[in-house]
Amino acid sequence: MKIPTTFHRRGLLCSAGFLALALSLGFSATTQAQTRYSAQPRGNDVKIDGTSSLHDWEMEGTLIGGFLELGAGVQLDPAQPTIAGAQDAKIPAKARVIIPVESVHSKADHLPEVMDHLMQGAMKDDQFKTIIFTLSELNFKGPHAAGKPFDFETKGDLCIAGVTNKVTFPVTIECLDGGKIKISGTAPIKMTDYGITPPAPNFGLGMMKCGDAVKIIFDWTLQKRP
Amino acid sequence: MNEKDNLPSPNRREFLKQTSLATFMAMMGGVELHAEDAPKPAATNSSGLTTKPPPPLVNFGVIGLGEQGREILKTLAHVPSSPVVAICDNYPRAMKRATAEAPKAKQYQDYKQLLADADVQAVVVATPTHQHKDIVLAALAAGKHVYCEAPLANTIEDAKAIAKAARDAVKQVFQTGLQERSHPQRVFLVPFIRSGAIGTNVMARAQWHKKDSWARSAGDQEREDALNWRLHKATSSGLIGENGIHQTDVACWFLKHLPVAVTGFSSSVLWQGDHNRDVPDTVQAVFEFPKGVQYLYDATLCSTFDDLYEMYYGVSATIMVRDSKAWLFKEVDANLLGWEVYARKDVFYRETGIGLIAGGSKQTALAGDAVSFKPYEFSPLYYALEAFNQNCGQIGATVKDYLDLYGDSDLSALSDKIKALHTYPAADWRDGLEATVVALTANEAAVKKQRIEFQKEWFEL
Repeated sequence: MKIPTTFHRRGLLCSAGFLALALSLGFSATTQAQTRYSAQPRGNDVKIDGTSSLHDWEMEGTLIGGFLELGAGVQLDPAQPTIAGAQDAKIPAKARVIIPVESVHSKADHLPEVMDHLMQGAMKDDQFKTIIFTLSELNFKGPHAAGKPFDFETKGDLCIAGVTNKVTFPVTIECLDGGKIKISGTAPIKMTDYGITPPAPNFGLGMMKCGDAVKIIFDWTLQKRP
Repeated sequence: MNEKDNLPSPNRREFLKQTSLATFMAMMGGVELHAEDAPKPAATNSSGLTTKPPPPLVNFGVIGLGEQGREILKTLAHVPSSPVVAICDNYPRAMKRATAEAPKAKQYQDYKQLLADADVQAVVVATPTHQHKDIVLAALAAGKHVYCEAPLANTIEDAKAIAKAARDAVKQVFQTGLQERSHPQRVFLVPFIRSGAIGTNVMARAQWHKKDSWARSAGDQEREDALNWRLHKATSSGLIGENGIHQTDVACWFLKHLPVAVTGFSSSVLWQGDHNRDVPDTVQAVFEFPKGVQYLYDATLCSTFDDLYEMYYGVSATIMVRDSKAWLFKEVDANLLGWEVYARKDVFYRETGIGLIAGGSKQTALAGDAVSFKPYEFSPLYYALEAFNQNCGQIGATVKDYLDLYGDSDLSALSDKIKALHTYPAADWRDGLEATVVALTANEAAVKKQRIEFQKEWFEL
């Protein structure tokens, strides 16, 4: 069988035109249907709550970056009990959440900089500057009560101190005015799962040992892109 | 640093001595104040822990290598993680002297070349006061963090220009060299005084006494003229502006008000004629604060007596601040605070019979006398530069994180986040502007020997 090595000019133009049209239509359909939300500098709060042999401790920051992209046709209408565009419970979505490690500070009244240093050092902040969550699944836990936040379960990869683990945790998405949304959630983790040795500072009067289990609690505000 | 490490551990003999002396001192009414008496400001870094956070690494450039510039270099050598990577002065001898303090630093004769050096993240401006404005504005425009010596300028207009540029430079740290604002002892005293511990404010008083002509010599006349900028009204803000600003600023800070008026006096008593000087060598000023509180200030280059100190008089007690120390003197009818029974006490002789203190100064509550006792290890300049270094590191990191996440479309949000940071105490552009306006106006009042009322708009941008 002879393999054609030349194309008829008209055929070539038709093929190219069809390909361009198809790409154009496909691209257009995708970009028009997707809804992308970008992180906003205001309205964010991230807390890391932990325990220790002496007392509970808390660190807090207000910098959360990243994006959420909802798939074709997905609409969050706070008045509706369901989500348009959802495939059963699954919501086509992409998201990436970025939290700078050094932006999270101790809330201790006394010597907060010491706790900052301990925790940031434990998270190897000199090598790994950010905590990153990459979404793989967003599942709607309906039905939704009008005016209330939407409930979801998320699955994804959480990377802390250079170690990535699969995690699952619930979040809510609340529709705000002006095309904004607020995503809130709590991710319980164990420090040792991420290669982090729970800090045990020597206070002179005895050892304080931090508990392995901590919670990452966040409120994250995003703005729909035009 | 741990202040407690500076306190000797008294043995039984010393304890007995203290006990008897405590009774005596309680009668005298002198009670020393230091930061251990109250919750320490969280910004101070004396942790007392075996683990201590290292400060951030910020590369410094120092512009102006005269006496103050060299003192800054010496001090920076002791501030952890604050390498001086560049120095600048247009006078070769000054550069040569400074080289000993910063042998590895790159040397520039033109400050613009130093500002173009990408290795320099923060600059300290220690040139003569009247040269601050151009350098500070260029440094901020170049994206550098700036520490500007006080006063900001020798005119209110220039001080405002600096303050405005600093205010608008949201991504950078600007610190005025009002070093007392960073001193842990002063930071501790503010809430103590404002808590009403001395009762209603009666008056305040401060002095700065040295015997120094202020005249400096150089190899050639042109350089000598430049060196002696402090001697001439055209370039100098006088004793109150160049030195007194640190004390008048603390008074405004402690009293929580700006003065409403100042009346000044001045004279040239000892240093007359040399270098055609026209700046008085002795000044007095009376600042009028709200609620009838007067603050009396005097400074001289003709007498060393009693050096420098500040007094804050209240109806219940008086506080004396000297060096890195302060003492409370209670009125006999003042309430017992409780903690003062256990506090260190010192004896003071305020009159000319100071020589008699030699024996008496050993009778102190803890080992050491009141003069040699140093509850804080470092100088005010050290604490100010440490604060600048720390704040540059922390704020610089926050700015980078913010810009990486959100870009620079909403700088007001960035400004809010910086304000929310737990930074080291330091004088910002507003503190610098207010202190400069107060000091320059007081100097004007002293030179003109008249009363001047402060106008609100002088303090506003």
